[in-house]
Amino acid sequence: MTLSGYEALFFWIFGLAAIFAGLLTVMARNAVHSALFLISSLVSVAALFVLAHAEFIAGVQILVYVGGVMVLFLFVIMLVNVGAEERGREEIFNNQRQVTAALIFCLLLVAGVLYAVNRGYSGLQILHPKPEVPAEQQVDPSQPKTATGSSQATKNSEGVGNNLYRYGSLPFEIASVLLLVAIIGSVMLARTLKQEASADDVDPETLQEELARDPELVNLEPRIE
Amino acid sequence: MLSFFNPVLALLQQESERGQVSQMVKAAAHPDLSKFLVIGALLFIIGVAGVLTRRNIIVIFMSIELILNAANLNFIAFSRYLREVGSVNALAGQIFTVFVIVVAAAEAAIGLGIVIALYRNKETIWVDEIDLLKW
Repeated sequence: MTLSGYEALFFWIFGLAAIFAGLLTVMARNAVHSALFLISSLVSVAALFVLAHAEFIAGVQILVYVGGVMVLFLFVIMLVNVGAEERGREEIFNNQRQVTAALIFCLLLVAGVLYAVNRGYSGLQILHPKPEVPAEQQVDPSQPKTATGSSQATKNSEGVGNNLYRYGSLPFEIASVLLLVAIIGSVMLARTLKQEASADDVDPETLQEELARDPELVNLEPRIE
Repeated sequence: MLSFFNPVLALLQQESERGQVSQMVKAAAHPDLSKFLVIGALLFIIGVAGVLTRRNIIVIFMSIELILNAANLNFIAFSRYLREVGSVNALAGQIFTVFVIVVAAAEAAIGLGIVIALYRNKETIWVDEIDLLKW
């Protein structure tokens, strides 16, 4: 796979944008800023997905990550916002020695991973010496051209759907169960004792103990009889 | 006069074609699979650095999302590479990416539920103050 022309230009723009936004995510003092930088990083990676001809996944990435997960993150940040960190009183990183050790480890990791990528890629080139299909073979006359004229509209969603049901139907079902578990679990975890008491869902002994600590709970009447 | 300069020019041209810089420019003008992998690796390592150095538990969660996203980028890049090599089931990488996104969404929901429960009980989001299990 070799990009060229405008594709190469956009590859570098979005690749560097993803990396810089990722760096700023880690380094921003305010957690809300971190979330916004993470959103821009995710959108840049979605653009890289489009360049790699995975249009469906790019759409899913923007809908699920940016539209769902990051909104959840922003809500939680605003729920637990302590306010101390943006006023600059709290240290945002761990203590000095831990950070030094972590950064040394990360530099070693960079060196190792880049070495592995180079070695592995040269091995791949030996394995597939001419991976490039000539451009005229890639052109499928049944598909319309895109606005730039350099590539064609694809049937990516159709292919992903076909593959998902042909090779991944069991993992697909398991993923739906996983999501159900996640829904129930997060509701369970985020419920307060007050909400549990009002639904008459607390062990009587625990309720007595909590009443001794927090007398306001007396006012609650069980809604469910 | 011209016949004297011609071999010199040819030599210079040859040198510049073989030179390190022009090769790098040529490689940058045609990014291939390895460039995608390098960007994925850098995103992954930024995420690891965030997990290891930050104190805010929510930012640590966001760094984990960054790591998962780097893995997704690698899957998609290999999917495209395998399609052009002519693999039978090149879309498998994209299928796997869908599952990674599903697991990431579930993990975020559960993790943020835990963060809220923790904040309600301990009144802190700094990981070094959450040391209940430390001996």
